[in-house]
Amino acid sequence: MTKLIAAELFKLRKRLMSRVLLYVLVGVLVVFYLILLAVSQALPTGSNPRLGDIQNLLGLPVAIPFALSMIAGFGTLLAVILVASSIGNEYNWRTIRTMVISSESRFKLLGAKLISAAILVLIGMVIGVITGFVMSLITTAIGGYAFNFDFLTGEYLWEQFLQFWRTFFVLIPYATLAFLFAIVGRSAMAGIGLGIGVYIVESLITTFMVLAGGWVARVPDYLLANNVNAITALASLPEGFNMGGGFGDITFQMPGVTHAFITLTIYSLAFLAIAFYVFRKRDVAG
Amino acid sequence: MTTPVNTEVNTDSKQEKDIILRTIGLTKRFGKLEAVKDLDLEIYRGEVFGFLGPNGAGKSTTVGMILGLITPTSGSLELFGQRLDKHRWSVLRRVGAIIEEPAFYPYLSGRNNLKALARAIGDIPAAKIPEVLERVNLADRADDRYSHYSMGMKQRLGIASTLLRDPELIILDEPTSGLDPAGTKEVRDLIPQLAHEHRAVFLCSHLLHEVELVCDRVAIIKEGIMIANAPVRELLTKGQLLQIKVDNPGEAASILENISWVNSVKIEDDYLIVDVPKESDSEVNKALAEHGIYASELVSRNVSLESVFLQLTGGESGD
Repeated sequence: MTKLIAAELFKLRKRLMSRVLLYVLVGVLVVFYLILLAVSQALPTGSNPRLGDIQNLLGLPVAIPFALSMIAGFGTLLAVILVASSIGNEYNWRTIRTMVISSESRFKLLGAKLISAAILVLIGMVIGVITGFVMSLITTAIGGYAFNFDFLTGEYLWEQFLQFWRTFFVLIPYATLAFLFAIVGRSAMAGIGLGIGVYIVESLITTFMVLAGGWVARVPDYLLANNVNAITALASLPEGFNMGGGFGDITFQMPGVTHAFITLTIYSLAFLAIAFYVFRKRDVAG
Repeated sequence: MTTPVNTEVNTDSKQEKDIILRTIGLTKRFGKLEAVKDLDLEIYRGEVFGFLGPNGAGKSTTVGMILGLITPTSGSLELFGQRLDKHRWSVLRRVGAIIEEPAFYPYLSGRNNLKALARAIGDIPAAKIPEVLERVNLADRADDRYSHYSMGMKQRLGIASTLLRDPELIILDEPTSGLDPAGTKEVRDLIPQLAHEHRAVFLCSHLLHEVELVCDRVAIIKEGIMIANAPVRELLTKGQLLQIKVDNPGEAASILENISWVNSVKIEDDYLIVDVPKESDSEVNKALAEHGIYASELVSRNVSLESVFLQLTGGESGD
């Protein structure tokens, strides 16, 4: 298995797309921070009750949870692209047969692909968090706000550590869904298209279901988006800056954290089980 | 209906040979379609085995089953004396293959493609990569991206990849496709060399002349059924082609077509080309004379594998 992971990491490392996805994540964080800085500079003090919130986001204590919140949202799309293309492109390039023949087992091949993609996602998350922190330092300096590192307590670091892994956890259902679609559809585009499609469409459907009221409004509690929101909401961000949790003026009632954790785990395991089953059973023909 | 030809080596010499691959009653069904039916094959160490058949005959399905990519519906498949379904990895580690066409990662160089493959397989010394690149004359372009390779270079990289694990069975599907004449000759020279290094080479090719040149034994498959399995020399000595000049080739052709032991008759440039068993020249001449047709020229030509193939497959292309 370690040999296969080494081979997968070698391929992902050498691939331009892996670096492009990382540059996009870093670029989006940088641009977002600069926009926030520009907005905070443009608004005169006291002109807007949200100004304090924006300045809060630029501040160091919120830098890490804010970066993680961005990763949970935008990063999910990048993780979907990375994971779906990791297996889907093997079909596109017709290398899947060579890889199956050269792998100890199909199970280990898929396992190695998932583990190596997860390693890359984690590296991307660390770089994203560092980018957020550095941008916060820069915007704090440019904005003329005071530097204060008193927040760096053990409790704070532990909370950010937990939030890091929560963020990673909420990426998993969409990434495994894309992985499954890429295998079933035998192409990267099937995984990317359907993975991102579900991510976007589900949020819209959730809104309509909440509007419908009654028992229909509770259905999203058993889908992905609402449960992801329930976990990302644990980040200590200023009100209104958490990803999800509402759509316009509509406020969603989110499920409990335990419920969300169990639901997302079940979905992720189900997607993986189907993906492994299909890949193991199906002939790898030309 | 073509009569199956099966003239495998006799039992005594079989026992002396080391069987690399054996299939017994290998069958694959896709829904109602029986792609491969009851295929019995044996491939021995040191031989180049040609596997021929028209389009859709079941060649790729058979190769897929040998490599564990396609699960057989029934029958058994042994590699190096071990069942593939029970000992998949330990036997496939000893097999190198190019299936249909070489497929590599376009963004990696030739060298890095081999590195990625070597890491996946494991236990391949680093020195093996330059060695196999050298062997297929790709060392000087090894660091170019695969996407910039010509078809011939891709083929050669494919062969290099099969040699990485020092395989005892090499499966090559159309290995000279896209190669220039010099490259084709190189590969044709390489194939028997590989077999002489105590390996077996399983060659799928539609270039019958190529198969005739490099293979020791061939099997011909049609509609999933093996219709011939014999040493090449034996297949070629079974018949002969007669080139006959007569005044009325059309009439002569219709006379010969009605004779049971005449395999095929065609007219080429006013000559009759007749496929008949060995030593039957005088019989042909006599049959024509009985109908008042006298040959002004009758030349015996050696049968090519192509004519045997066309005769057995009913004239279908081997592409």
